[in-house]
Amino acid sequence: MNRKEFLSDCGKMGMAGVALSLFPWLESCTEKAKQEVHGEKARIGIIGTGSRGVFHIKNLLQLQQAEVVALCDNYRPHLDDAAQYYPKAKLYEDYRQLLDDKNVQGVIIATPLYLHGRMTIDAMNAGKSVFCEKSMAFTLDEALEVYNRRKELGSVLFIGQQRLFDPKYVKAMSMIHEGVIGDVVGVRNYWYRNNDWRREVPSPELERHINWRLYREYSRGLMTELACHQLQNGSWAMGMLPEKVMGSGSLIHWNKVDKRDVYDCVTAIFTYPNGVNMTFESIISNKHFGMGEQILGSKGTIDLVTGMHYTDEPMPKGSGMHQLVEQIERGVMSNSVFAGTSWAAETGSTAPGMPIMPNVKVVTGESSVGAEADGSKELVDAFLHAVITGKQPEKVLEESYYATQFALLADKAMHENAILTLEDKYRVPYVPLGSR
Amino acid sequence: MKDIVIPAAVVRREIIIWLCCFVAANIVNWVVIIKFATPWYEIFSQIGYVTITSFVFYGLLLMLRAAWWLLSRVFKK
Ligand SMILES: NC(=O)c1ccc[n+]([C@@H]2O[C@H](COP(=O)([O-])OP(=O)(O)OC[C@H]3O[C@@H](n4cnc5c(N)ncnc54)[C@H](O)[C@@H]3O)[C@@H](O)[C@H]2O)c1
Repeated sequence: MNRKEFLSDCGKMGMAGVALSLFPWLESCTEKAKQEVHGEKARIGIIGTGSRGVFHIKNLLQLQQAEVVALCDNYRPHLDDAAQYYPKAKLYEDYRQLLDDKNVQGVIIATPLYLHGRMTIDAMNAGKSVFCEKSMAFTLDEALEVYNRRKELGSVLFIGQQRLFDPKYVKAMSMIHEGVIGDVVGVRNYWYRNNDWRREVPSPELERHINWRLYREYSRGLMTELACHQLQNGSWAMGMLPEKVMGSGSLIHWNKVDKRDVYDCVTAIFTYPNGVNMTFESIISNKHFGMGEQILGSKGTIDLVTGMHYTDEPMPKGSGMHQLVEQIERGVMSNSVFAGTSWAAETGSTAPGMPIMPNVKVVTGESSVGAEADGSKELVDAFLHAVITGKQPEKVLEESYYATQFALLADKAMHENAILTLEDKYRVPYVPLGSR
Repeated sequence: MKDIVIPAAVVRREIIIWLCCFVAANIVNWVVIIKFATPWYEIFSQIGYVTITSFVFYGLLLMLRAAWWLLSRVFKK
């Protein structure tokens, strides 16, 4: 989806004008903002040219405002792969050298999690605008340090939480805020896969460099890799932050195959101040249910992944004549001799539901690289705009900050077997998305 | 083969019977509109169903009349 299509999708949502005050971070997608940077280029350096780095490169190739001038990776094969897309870009193996490159205005950081905080702070100190992949940092303290440093310097800082730029999420959230599904009474997130989450390793000493996701020394596993995307849903829908977190995690399957030490099975519950719970569950040894993100309301449900709206209220019944015929049919069919058992399983509703907007683009959660049309390209485009204008969009950073903090807090709760609250020192001013 | 001639009086009688069925079907429509609290515009929008219902009534009535005619013939003998 290009910018034009994105804008048109936003248009179909009726998001023009007024709605922008509710979604200020989308301002860079407007025609006016586009004119503001017309003909200008953001000179970008990419740090970490592994799978996500290359995914961004492919998007950047299609974006008018992008000029990739430098690439950095400390693993040569990945750096050389990336260089094929931008043969003129300068190549670095040490990110600090890239940061010294005065030609670079902004950096995209797509390295393993344990490097995010340090690299982001170094890049901001070097005067660069920064787009860092999620999660924002490796520890609660580090995330706060990044947040505070950005505030001191006034740098542009984006975190790779692309749902904020996905039209179906924006539309769904505006419906929820309008009260279409009544009061939000629950938020369900799950992400199931059936794969070992491993990347191929050319030689054994590279195991930890390539498969960093599987080791706690570099990663917080499913919570920072998957949950942090979904945890945003609850706060966005309800306009508040969770009060307490509990969780349980274990290694149940893939530890039989390798020596990983991050959990391959996790469940976490986040309780909001009004008592509503948000759940996150991930198992990577069964993929039957795939990825799901559902906002449950007192009047209906919105499935964010499929962009469908299901109502709990009785469906419109049809005309009086139809109802009469149905009643007669029911009378004929309800012969007590043939009646079934008095108990039936309370299975879910089979109501067909309605798409929340035309041409909903559904992405599966199967790929660990990223998916087309999931908002990633629009997010990077918004970053380019911010690099050129130097303007940090409102609200997005706080949303990403808290998504990271609650993912890390849940991980901590699992390891400490405790119910945890986010300490006051980690609380930064939060203006809920969707409020004016 | 002989032509079947339906006298005008019979045609008129059948039309009147069907019109009565049509009125009855309309009354049913009004009753269900009240009963199921559906909008009054269904008086017009459901006219197709009402017409079909009127034919159903007419058919049922035809069967009753045929049965009556058969029985009366049996008892006359
Ligand atoms: N937003 C999303 O949907 C999404 C999707 C996939 C990955 N990601 C994130 O992107 C990041 C990268 O993930 P990936 O799948 O590309 O991992 P990857 O292992 O494929 O790539 C990481 C790259 O960083 C390089 N690297 C490691 N240490 C370095 C250093 N000190 N200096 C320079 N380069 C270094 C590695 O050599 C590798 O090429 C992760 O934080 C991940 O969570 C986000």
